[in-house]
Amino acid sequence: MTREGTADMREIAGDILYVDLSERRAWREPALHEDILNFLGGRGLNAHLLWKLTGPDTDPLGPDNPLIFGAGLLSGTEVPCSGRTTVTCRSPATRWYLKTSGGGHWGGELKFAGIGHLVITGRADHPVYLWIDDGRVEFRDARPIWGKDVRETDLSVKKDVGDEDIQVAAIGPAGERLVKFAGIMFSVYNTAGRGGAGAVMGAKNLKAVAVRGTGALRAAQPARFHKVAVECREALLAESGGEGLARYGTAGSVEAVNELRAWASYNFRRSRDEDVYPLSGQYLVERGYLKRRVACLACVFGCHRYTELTRGEFAGCYTGGPELETLGSFGSGCGVSDTEAVIKANELCNILGMDTISCGSVIAWTMECYEKGLVSARDLDGLDLRWGDAKAVIEMVRRIAYREGFGDVLAEGVRAAARQVGGDSYRWAVEAKGLEQSRVDTRSAKAYALAFAVNPRGADHLHTETFAEFGLSPEGRALIARITGDEKYADPCMVEKRAEIVRWHEDCFAVTDALGLCAFSSTALYGVTPARMAELFSAATGHEISEEEVMRAGRRIVTLEKCFNVRAGAVRADDCLPWRLMHEHTPDRPDPDAINAPEELDRMLDEYYSLHGWDLETSWPTSETLESLGLGDVARQLAAAGKLR
Amino acid sequence: MEKFLVVYPDLCTGCRLCEAACSYRHEGVYSPSLSRVRVVKFEDRCLSVPVVCNYCEQPPCEASCPTGAMSAAPDGRYALVREDRCIGCKECVHACPLGAVHLHPRSGVAIRCDLCRGDPECVKVCTAGALRYEPLEAAVREKRRARAASLNPA
Repeated sequence: MTREGTADMREIAGDILYVDLSERRAWREPALHEDILNFLGGRGLNAHLLWKLTGPDTDPLGPDNPLIFGAGLLSGTEVPCSGRTTVTCRSPATRWYLKTSGGGHWGGELKFAGIGHLVITGRADHPVYLWIDDGRVEFRDARPIWGKDVRETDLSVKKDVGDEDIQVAAIGPAGERLVKFAGIMFSVYNTAGRGGAGAVMGAKNLKAVAVRGTGALRAAQPARFHKVAVECREALLAESGGEGLARYGTAGSVEAVNELRAWASYNFRRSRDEDVYPLSGQYLVERGYLKRRVACLACVFGCHRYTELTRGEFAGCYTGGPELETLGSFGSGCGVSDTEAVIKANELCNILGMDTISCGSVIAWTMECYEKGLVSARDLDGLDLRWGDAKAVIEMVRRIAYREGFGDVLAEGVRAAARQVGGDSYRWAVEAKGLEQSRVDTRSAKAYALAFAVNPRGADHLHTETFAEFGLSPEGRALIARITGDEKYADPCMVEKRAEIVRWHEDCFAVTDALGLCAFSSTALYGVTPARMAELFSAATGHEISEEEVMRAGRRIVTLEKCFNVRAGAVRADDCLPWRLMHEHTPDRPDPDAINAPEELDRMLDEYYSLHGWDLETSWPTSETLESLGLGDVARQLAAAGKLR
Repeated sequence: MEKFLVVYPDLCTGCRLCEAACSYRHEGVYSPSLSRVRVVKFEDRCLSVPVVCNYCEQPPCEASCPTGAMSAAPDGRYALVREDRCIGCKECVHACPLGAVHLHPRSGVAIRCDLCRGDPECVKVCTAGALRYEPLEAAVREKRRARAASLNPA
């Protein structure tokens, strides 16, 4: 056994595997120590690789857009909730930066194959899938499986390889058809869903990436690493929110968010749903839809769901999910309260390979267009797409994935669809930067509002989950007190201190993603503190790093991601929220503060940019800020492009 | 009372922390291939089942071993693989009807569960309660009661 502190970082981080699909060539390089120290791994190293491999004109669906898979630095170890994989590329939906992550077991398998990051460039001349067998790469013909759904693809690839224990990441028909919100599915039902990474994979003619890893991961200081991992596990299991998360899943908090008037309903016209119980995690359990709790690699909670419908119209339906976002998107968002229909829509999205958030959002937007007469039944080939019509929703999901009829318009995302339909329909296209907003009604949650506005990938919660501002748990309230100095700021209607709250969470979330951890370990539950993450990194790599340094690495990652957008042309005006949320009240929150007024957002943005050391007029990181984070090379490139102040 | 590693497959969430704990305890690394317990997954149904050594009363792995490498500890409470005797002939792997014995992917020596010599690590990390270290009678009792309850018309 290796002595404490002498193991190479490679034994925990794995190599970088480069694959050029055009040339059918693959090669491995060890990750540089310096890059691991600066960017940690996972999302962080992905961001660094993307920055180096792209320019301002990289076409998201062209062969030059790299599709980068990054397993977490700690994925594959015993650290609780460490199984997440980040996918990074330029987004075809927004044309901005995209990181999207998924759970499951694929990333861990990649690590056991000795690989931490997989960088795919080029485009195959016909459909292929990759077979990575302990680091050996084969390009296999995927023409026989092109067109198959994700479940069939998973089984077919396993059969073709001759091993049912391997891990597969795959796209479905939606990714093949370049649907702008097609996802990449890990372990069948775990989606890297947001921003259209599945379309990037489809554009490369890449149907799947299959992996088998029989190797081992070794921490530089095994005993210390083990000790901290056990501490993390015990801390998480002791948290007040842990049991509910395990029992009821993410959807266990649907009712609480609804009561806070932060539950987006009827395409964000409402911020509360009177009939929300059938869309709750509690209901899934009570009615027996939930068959099993499901865990990603090394997860101590198992918040993922597995549901089956054994009776009724959709009997025979079985799928991973539904999560809170899916229940909100196809449920309240479309005025639907039919649990079984939502489960069916979820199954379709999973096997066709689409993000449930965007898919439900474009349908809700169409319902509003239909109601207002901007889209007719004739436009919809006779479909009567009224609020609450669950069957029409399900039919629309299918049409989007296969780009049939009006589905072809919606497959481009809500921003493009609103341009095509015209009129005032942009006002209820609930997107920012071109990404459909996730389920939180930010009018009733101001830290979420700021976080969504500055999120480089668009309006959603998975760059910076600020759940603590709701003050729903003692741990969340204690965290707000630690960040702001007073527990009273655990109030989602306050504007004060939101910049501080957002910045702490974005630093922490960046580290969380880089290490491969789940939000439910550090920024939605809190047992894996920044101090523990620093300990884990130090013990894993043998390089001592403090809590401040690990959070600084998080800031470096966040800043580099911002710089990607700056290089691509982003200015302050791009950090905004959907029109509806900035201008319209809901009947559930008639008070004047309950919108994301432009002046209010501006005030929070000023505070946020100031905290970061970014220029207030342009939102660009300044030269001093970049130098202080060790991003001097980035500063020089931005300066050459005239984007540095 | 003698304890066994008992699997409750209905409770397994498939996190595979048992594999990580096992490989760390025995090899100092994290590797499912080096774990004595293996979680088998049927992913389209989100189904996971831990496969463990059941501690057969008449272990075919021991009976088939030509060198005596597969043997019980002197007090008979747990199983050993005497690595100095193992020749990597794989007879034990073929003999085990459960698939609970396999080979070290690099050294080629047989691997099987030694119950961590009476304190199994996999059980400690199983928050779902799918792996338990308990007297067989406890498992049977629970099963008997569950079965009886399912027959109760009320």
